[in-house]
Amino acid sequence: MASSGQETIIAQGVKVEGDFTSTGDVLIDGEVAGTVRTAASLRVGETARISADVTAATAVIAGEIQGNVHIQDRLELLDTSVIHGDVECRILSVAAGATVNGRVSMGEVKE
Amino acid sequence: MYCYIYDDLTQNQRFAPELALIENRLTDLGIAGKIVRMALFRNVQEMVRDEIRRGITSVIAVGNDETVHKVIDVISGTNVVLGIIPLGEGNELAALLGVPHGLAACDVLSARIVETIDAGIVNGKRFLTSISVPNFGAELTCDGAYRITPDEPSFLEIRNLGGDASKSERISDPTDGRLETILRVSVKQGWLGRRSVCESVLPLTTLAIRSETPISITADGEEMTGTRFDIGIESGVIRVISGRGRKF
Repeated sequence: MASSGQETIIAQGVKVEGDFTSTGDVLIDGEVAGTVRTAASLRVGETARISADVTAATAVIAGEIQGNVHIQDRLELLDTSVIHGDVECRILSVAAGATVNGRVSMGEVKE
Repeated sequence: MYCYIYDDLTQNQRFAPELALIENRLTDLGIAGKIVRMALFRNVQEMVRDEIRRGITSVIAVGNDETVHKVIDVISGTNVVLGIIPLGEGNELAALLGVPHGLAACDVLSARIVETIDAGIVNGKRFLTSISVPNFGAELTCDGAYRITPDEPSFLEIRNLGGDASKSERISDPTDGRLETILRVSVKQGWLGRRSVCESVLPLTTLAIRSETPISITADGEEMTGTRFDIGIESGVIRVISGRGRKF
């Protein structure tokens, strides 16, 4: 079952394993392994370490993701972000210093 | 028809003057009713069940959070309305519901603003406020889909209705069908290794705690010990009288 429309925070100091699904905004600063899916916005903090395929409506990434990133609308990669995987989004913003090791495709993203 | 459940603690003589005033006020307001006194070797749940069979419409817990905790299993899912006259210490629930202490609660009962709220359930036992687990280091399975483990022993709180308004904490909404799960972990940060508390917040419907060694949890002020706790929520099963100053 999914988490509700309320904001979910996965802070530093916790590990999440499994299929994490939410309909609300999600902030991740801790470690996640499995899958991450939200129908709203996702914010990945500098301290976050994610080994998972990630799906969200919009996202701002400052931490590290090992997995494919699938964003319906806008994806913002901050200068500390590191992505090892394919990126798919409609609008992409990349700060100087961001690392992407994978294929980047842009345009209309199917759900 | 009202039924007043007097907790053991009300037998302390220091409450006698206030109880006399309360009983007079209830009579003046026309909401006096049967008084049932809790006592050792008396099964309060059976007594309340009998009163519900006889047709009472409201059960008023006279005491504290623990008094409420003793009766909610019986009234959950029925049309009976729960009220509180807070006496003594440990009245977090009444404060969140906006019910003032002692005599002033009689006017709130008389105004009868009824809210329908959720009840949390842990190993078959209901709770209205929250579960707290100090030194939590076990595994938490959330909504049957993923597991959370803290890196270090942490403080776990699972709220149906809770939060400290005096510390500007957000008050959990007991009508949203969710349990707000809060995990506070002390984390070393920076080169100096200073510690700060990081707080994870998850709105959930089911949780399972599994521990290799027995742990103690506190639900509505009652302590439970075990290695397995299955926690869930029942939506809109408790009808409760609240005051205008309710916090949710």
